[in-house]
Amino acid sequence: MKRLFFLISFPLVFLASCEKQIPKSNTQQEDSLAAQSLVRVNATSQGYLPTRPWEKEPPSSRRGLGILLGKNRILTTADIAAKATFISLESANEEKTVPAKTVFVDYECNLAILEPTNTEEPSFLDELVPIQLQKSGVKPRGPVTIWQIESSGLPLKTEGSIQSTDIISTSGTGHYFLTYRVKASMQSASSSYTLPVTQEGKLLGILTSYYNDDQICDVIAPEVIQQFIADTEDAVYDGFPSLGISAATTEDPHFRSWLNLAPEQGGIYITRVVEDSSAGKAGLKKGDVILSIDGNQIDRKGYYQHPHYHRIYWTHLIRGEKSSGDQIQITIKRNDQIIKKQAILARSKKPLIQKDFFASDPSYLIHGGLIFTELSKPYLQGFGKDWESRAPITLLDALANPEDYETDRDRIIILSQIIPTPATVGYDRISNQIVTQVNDISIRHLSDLQAALNEPKESYHVIDIKESPYRIFLDVQESEKANTELIQRGLDQLSRFETRQDETK
Amino acid sequence: MKAFVFFFFHAALIISASAQENFTQAERYQSIVRIEVVSQTPDYQNPWNPGRFSSGIGSGFLIGDNQFLTNAHVVSNARRILITQPGSSRKHPARVVHIAHDCDLALLEVDDFSPFENYIHFKLDGVPPLESTVSAIGYPVGGDRISVTRGVVSRIDFRPYSHSRADSHLVIQIDAAINPGNSGGPVFLGENVVGVAFQGLRSADNTGYMIPTPVIKRFLKDIEDGKYDQYVELGASIFPLYNPAMRKALRLDQNSSGVLVSSVTPESATDGVLEPGDVLLSIDSHPIDQGGKINLDGERLELYEIAERKFAGDQIPITFLREGKSHQKNITLTTIPASRLYAITYGKRPRYYYHAGLVFQPLDLNLYAAKRFNSPRVRKIYQHYMDDGIFKERKDIIVLTQVFDDQITLHASKFKGAVLDSINGTRVSSLKQLSEVIDQSPESEEFLTFEFNGVHQPLVLPREKAKKASAQIMQTYGISKDRYLGN
Repeated sequence: MKRLFFLISFPLVFLASCEKQIPKSNTQQEDSLAAQSLVRVNATSQGYLPTRPWEKEPPSSRRGLGILLGKNRILTTADIAAKATFISLESANEEKTVPAKTVFVDYECNLAILEPTNTEEPSFLDELVPIQLQKSGVKPRGPVTIWQIESSGLPLKTEGSIQSTDIISTSGTGHYFLTYRVKASMQSASSSYTLPVTQEGKLLGILTSYYNDDQICDVIAPEVIQQFIADTEDAVYDGFPSLGISAATTEDPHFRSWLNLAPEQGGIYITRVVEDSSAGKAGLKKGDVILSIDGNQIDRKGYYQHPHYHRIYWTHLIRGEKSSGDQIQITIKRNDQIIKKQAILARSKKPLIQKDFFASDPSYLIHGGLIFTELSKPYLQGFGKDWESRAPITLLDALANPEDYETDRDRIIILSQIIPTPATVGYDRISNQIVTQVNDISIRHLSDLQAALNEPKESYHVIDIKESPYRIFLDVQESEKANTELIQRGLDQLSRFETRQDETK
Repeated sequence: MKAFVFFFFHAALIISASAQENFTQAERYQSIVRIEVVSQTPDYQNPWNPGRFSSGIGSGFLIGDNQFLTNAHVVSNARRILITQPGSSRKHPARVVHIAHDCDLALLEVDDFSPFENYIHFKLDGVPPLESTVSAIGYPVGGDRISVTRGVVSRIDFRPYSHSRADSHLVIQIDAAINPGNSGGPVFLGENVVGVAFQGLRSADNTGYMIPTPVIKRFLKDIEDGKYDQYVELGASIFPLYNPAMRKALRLDQNSSGVLVSSVTPESATDGVLEPGDVLLSIDSHPIDQGGKINLDGERLELYEIAERKFAGDQIPITFLREGKSHQKNITLTTIPASRLYAITYGKRPRYYYHAGLVFQPLDLNLYAAKRFNSPRVRKIYQHYMDDGIFKERKDIIVLTQVFDDQITLHASKFKGAVLDSINGTRVSSLKQLSEVIDQSPESEEFLTFEFNGVHQPLVLPREKAKKASAQIMQTYGISKDRYLGN
């Protein structure tokens, strides 16, 4: 279900001086109210290089829009806040700015709430008018307005109409949420990254991407925004729940008869249950067929009938209809028996291999010249354009089949490279090896490695790796010396551990 | 690095001293022949097809009574071989007597040797010194007649032999122009053969390679018993012992010799003798240094070079340290047939098994080269086939390579490119077994359930319907036969 999308900040192609024919909206007055809620959001972001995690990438900056929801509360996308080193809020006419910080962010649903760094001080935000949220749970229809701001500071409105709804991932993190698809003919303008979409003067959603060729926009649905905002209200952000399964469709008639599914039954076949997930705790197993969730029949392709959205994908029953902590009833077919299971929904735990470093920085530890880091998708992407064929095959296999690696560990810690030091003489050809044990201590996490390095055998550390030569040794004194030298050579920090800059921060 | 093979050929003035006086140079050329070959390259994409026919030219030379030496790649997959002498238009039908793909050499014979009876049999000399002037004779492109080029010995090295894509042996690099057609021809130093021209490097100028006489002599000795056995292997990999902490942990003096055994191939010569973590001290009475090198004939060479000069069944002594204690044992060198998975196979029809729109093929380098395998799981099983001993439980890595569209296979294509583990709960370890499990599946089984490695859902076919549909799909898609399982 991968889709290519362009972020709208990329230049759109236009003919010069086209007359902006904006259809007259019959809710013009309400719309002008919406214009008074718009804020420019400028963010500079800078993460660490996944392949050399002690070094930062060159900083880059983005300009987008946010919308005022309440006093000092600005809603925007998580994308714009990701890895941010500096955020400022700017008035539409670019005359006034105020530094800001992220108070809540959820990279899964791609939403964030910003506020001025100093909320006590009066700012231009006080002159803006907070917008109200459009009602959710109604049949999506009718015209919508997409907001941009021209460099003159004047609002630029584009009328569009809701075409369909779908469950897609708008953030590139691979998490799927209800999304409206809006047909509109957009043009480029400054601050075009993240655009508010209104209906009847109320906030309907946030536009995240625009497909130039089809003139279709993806807009985060009002349900998602409302649930995100509701979750932030008690200061502890719980996040969207996840069931913790992978599933396959059952439209193959041979597969259906093998499963003994009746023609009127739909059902999705569970191919994997994540350990400790909501599904795992509820007792779901690989091979079960989910027939319905909370009474909603799931068809053989995984869709169910929604009162407003018609056929939409089953995951919306979890992520969209429910919050963390809610209970759902799942009806499954197992060995020809119909069984009902109760699952208490919770947010998914971090995967074995991280797909991105939005929420945390890549962790690493350098000792004596051995560089240990956690295996992540960005690390593998560091092998270049052809990373899927060029990266070491064992690491690619781990990315494709994490379930075969997760029983022994919470993270895959690899010996990624060797810095030549007196302690690492002779090890030059070792790289990208999965670390299993250090000084006989199993390495489930990078912090285990640090603890293990405090317990050397005699005068050396014993490092076990998954492939030939399987075991290497590191002199304790030499490696300490090497550490000191590495620091003198400019590597000022020899380790970084996972610090969840959590959504609760 | 891509080494491109050219066929070349060298002319040699040669000879064993005694015979030579009796021949003029022109007569000596009569023992250097042009070899015309029509070959049939199997189609691994669609293994039931006959494959592609093509023709090529190479060179060869007489080394004994009805013994023509040439390169294996000149006569691989040959369907017709014709030998021509210089200045003659008569084509003599010939056939391959012995072929060694791992060292790119072959021995041919003609049906009727009488026309060649009076010509010289060239003698093999030793390894020529650097800078010595050698000449290559053969039938390279650019004309039909015999050609002579001259150059010096530039380098003597251990290099890959591109014909099999998996083997490395001693090679001699020369700067004489060597071109397609030269392959299989002799290279002379004075009047003696010092090599067989066999490959070049397209990315560099004036780099031609020849197979030196130690490799040729080994080939000729190997076939004395009537068959070629291929090279033997130690089956152990080594890791240099330069690290002081590692030396300390292994209880070694900082200056003592020996190299670490990092892995041992199951069922190889060293399996059961060496273990990872041992320190190999000597092999065949040659002490091994910390980097794994030995002194052989005054040259510093990899310890693997010992096996290069031995034959299957030869015993060699090794000494090693384990947990500080010294051991001495004899190992019996063997070939490792399963490792040929990493070499291109020649002269064999591709094996496959077809059933109900599904095509299964055993994974080897030929198939790997013909198809793209994107699945990391398939690539991992292939790469770790030897090291992890996967070959013990899987004689073949069976891959579902094609799915032909039909009502019966409507949802099967998502399984394409995956490695088959089992059918109806029976683990399948070879293509032959796969055919038996399907052919003999009992009437009582309603389904054929295929489980693939790393795929968490089975492929299910209704057994009886699939059987019925099978022949029809074959006919529709032009699949002539449903299997070739090898012999």
